[in-house]
Amino acid sequence: MPPKVQFIREDGLYHSFCGLVSVGWLYQKIKDSFFLILGTHTCAHLLQNTLGVMIFARPRFAVSLLEEGDLSSSQPNIADQIAEIKREHNPSVIFLLSSCTPEVMKVEFEGLAHALSTPELPVLFVPASGLDYTFAQSEDSVLQALLPFCPVAPPEDKRVVFLGSVNDVVADDFAMEAARLGIPVAGFLPAPHFSDLPPIGPGTIIAPLQPFLPKVASQLKNERDATVLSSLFPFGPDGCRAFWEDLAAEFDIKVDLSEREAAAWERIKDHTDLLRGKKVFFASDILMELPLARFLRAAGAEIIECSTPAINRRFHARELAALDGVRLVEQANFDRQLRDIATYQPDLIISNMITTNPLVGRGLVAKWGTEFAFMPIHGWSGVNVLASTFTKAMRRHALLDPLSLDPVWTTGLMPSAPGDVIPLQEL
Amino acid sequence: MRLAYWMYEGTAHHGVGRVMNSMRNVHAVFHAPQGDDYVNTIFTMLERTPSFPSMTTSVVSGTDLARGTIRLPETLRQVEEKLHPELIVVIASCSTILLQENLEVAAASAHLDADVLVYDANPYRMQENGAAEGLFSELVRRYAAPQPLTEQPSVNILGPASLGFHVRHDLTSLRRMLNTLGVRVNVVAPWGATVDDLRRLPAAWLNIAPYRELGARAADYLEEQFGTPALREAPLGVQPTLRWLNALVDTLNEIGVRRNGPVIRMPHLTAFSLDGMSAPSSVPWFARTADMESYAGKSAFIFGDATHTVGMTKFLRDELGMPIAGAGTYLLKEANWVREQLKGYVSDDQFLSTDEFQVTAARIAELTPELICGTQMERHTARKYDLNCMVIAPPTHIENHLLSYRPFLGFDGADTIADEVYTTCTLGMEKHLIDLFGDAGLEHDDGLAPTADRQIAVAADAEVAVSVAEAVVDGQSSTVDPTWSQEAESMLKKVPFFVRGKAKGNVEKYARDHGIALITADVLLTAKENIGA
Repeated sequence: MPPKVQFIREDGLYHSFCGLVSVGWLYQKIKDSFFLILGTHTCAHLLQNTLGVMIFARPRFAVSLLEEGDLSSSQPNIADQIAEIKREHNPSVIFLLSSCTPEVMKVEFEGLAHALSTPELPVLFVPASGLDYTFAQSEDSVLQALLPFCPVAPPEDKRVVFLGSVNDVVADDFAMEAARLGIPVAGFLPAPHFSDLPPIGPGTIIAPLQPFLPKVASQLKNERDATVLSSLFPFGPDGCRAFWEDLAAEFDIKVDLSEREAAAWERIKDHTDLLRGKKVFFASDILMELPLARFLRAAGAEIIECSTPAINRRFHARELAALDGVRLVEQANFDRQLRDIATYQPDLIISNMITTNPLVGRGLVAKWGTEFAFMPIHGWSGVNVLASTFTKAMRRHALLDPLSLDPVWTTGLMPSAPGDVIPLQEL
Repeated sequence: MRLAYWMYEGTAHHGVGRVMNSMRNVHAVFHAPQGDDYVNTIFTMLERTPSFPSMTTSVVSGTDLARGTIRLPETLRQVEEKLHPELIVVIASCSTILLQENLEVAAASAHLDADVLVYDANPYRMQENGAAEGLFSELVRRYAAPQPLTEQPSVNILGPASLGFHVRHDLTSLRRMLNTLGVRVNVVAPWGATVDDLRRLPAAWLNIAPYRELGARAADYLEEQFGTPALREAPLGVQPTLRWLNALVDTLNEIGVRRNGPVIRMPHLTAFSLDGMSAPSSVPWFARTADMESYAGKSAFIFGDATHTVGMTKFLRDELGMPIAGAGTYLLKEANWVREQLKGYVSDDQFLSTDEFQVTAARIAELTPELICGTQMERHTARKYDLNCMVIAPPTHIENHLLSYRPFLGFDGADTIADEVYTTCTLGMEKHLIDLFGDAGLEHDDGLAPTADRQIAVAADAEVAVSVAEAVVDGQSSTVDPTWSQEAESMLKKVPFFVRGKAKGNVEKYARDHGIALITADVLLTAKENIGA
């Protein structure tokens, strides 16, 4: 049994986006896919405003727009749109994502996807609605939908499958690193193409690269009898060492990466010198908070609080153990966080896109968590990016003159601010 | 049902957010799933708000639905306890509206001191502008109270709102002109207004409502109910600004005469300039200079909201002398008004009314105008077709939220727009020379070019490198790059340097597509014919 680590669960009144945002990276990762959201104007507006998603030549995602006349039918007819997508984009697979409105309408998605699916062009249901899913959690849904299409590997096929979307360069790094250690690689889930899905069976070791995939991990275990590596996630020198040593051990390979870890810490000394003793508060929503906080703590920072939308005792067991003694909060209440931020005056807040500018407006140093989701911070080669992403905001703010602390410089910028002036400590 | 890739207008709840985030001491509460909270980002990121926008999502989760829990009363209590707003506007989302809950009853059960308005905006019938205009006029109706007019001539400015296009700048430009005339501003709303300010609206002598999208309906109501006249034109361009100023002065003086009030005199026009002693705008002279002669043949296509499409089309033709290739709007409900306004400027064939960006893009591709005035989507389309574009209407991109004073209205606005047109279009005489002779002394590989030009050339090369890299990443085309024969290469050097990179890329793509390894002069010629490089 995993150790019983304490964490607090609050009421979830924090700022975030819904599960649809993962479309922003997954349509680029899976190059022959199409992401179709059954949703409304709100879904389209969300996508174009949150991730700066612009329409390049031929976007491989769209919203099948529910309009007023469509609300009465319990099973919307999207066959024409599937045909249009097929004609215009010729994808190998269509992911059909749910959203809040059809969920409320009780659209039967499994049946809808099944009815539209053909052997040549599977249509796969992906639960992603904001009623139940936040941020990257929908990648978990996408990978679960892909699982039946992974060939079944025979028991004697003992190889690793890396789990979670990373860009192709990072994927190459992991494949090369595994080869160096003598670990045989079966592939990546997701793969860059629908036809390249890795074989998975009882001999497969699943090595999770992303911390937001607990459901597909347990499904891989239950349905394919695969072994899910329980280790730290490969972020930071400490995380990488544990990850690779534990993974190698699954293949009865004994490696000692202590020197490699020490060298990696030495390379980021400039950053860790700055981070040591600094108070850091995680109030972000990207579901990578646990390993990020664990790395920062190992780098010498003091974690005032680490909030994250979801904690899974089994999938996050090693991270939770490493975070023992840190205040962990699932489904945080943002108002309470603001009060604690006012009390503890952290040196750095990991925030989200919605809250960053207003927090900086309070004279605090805040950094978008989202940036960690879109930066190559995995593995040994990501260590420097990871460390510098934390220190960048602190260094830059330290360089700036203190003028911005005088409310005169934000006067008139925001019409709703009382008397035009925003009091600095109004938290 | 249809496939949507991108939308011009925002949602109804975004429209509500825009009004509420404009006003002071009010708050919007969205009864919605967590994802609907994304609208906050648009304010905090595009307007870089130094404080939290006045809106809270009262989260509705799948578990809540299963259990029949409604968090709204508790959220309302929390908002009141923390912020003490005078007014809270509650709105359902596109999903929760289907639950047919009685939000009035739920809100009343919170027993708040604040005024609570459950705004009935059907997100399937209303979009951003309709919801914002509907809410703002409902608030004016609710609060505007009968009262005597101010002693001195005064006006309200109705319509400026958070995330409006260059709206802070427009407000400054309008205020500058009113100051010059000695006319006081009674209330600006919704921008910066409190509920009390809305109560004071009927004290003004005149309402200024320059935006067709927001404020016009409130002006109508105030005219019907309190007899306040309204100035509804947008002073966009020099001529419209002069007419607007005259109308403003005349209307105020008519009222002044009846009230034995002071007479407002139109000052010498130099009083409107920034230094008080120059031409109020440089556009009339600028448009007549020899430099601008080349604009006579440059055609423009204008597409945006109602106010800016109409204003810009007239400005480009009437004040810069540019031919209009076409114009249109994505605000389908305003299409008739825009078409009517542009009679004599564009024919029915040249008029476009669509909310699908692909249709607009196809029209642009067909017209290939010298200048496109559009939204951020048209800017994007223009980049795709290598055409010139300036953004004149929302939706905007962060790069349209600049720091310097860039109004669109008033004399100051005319100068801003003319500058933007001038720097967006490829320049006149220079371009002729370069087109005709190839390099106009701007060659970057002769070793003698001045530094600035060399930098441009390097930048152009970098672009080529990027596009080559993209092509490789794309994986569609072979990664083997064709080589150039000496003859073909020297022909390529005759292509003007600023388009050479593109031409080179196009020819190489042609060669790859046709399995050609060596680009000879003959291949170059054939390729140019085929791709118009």
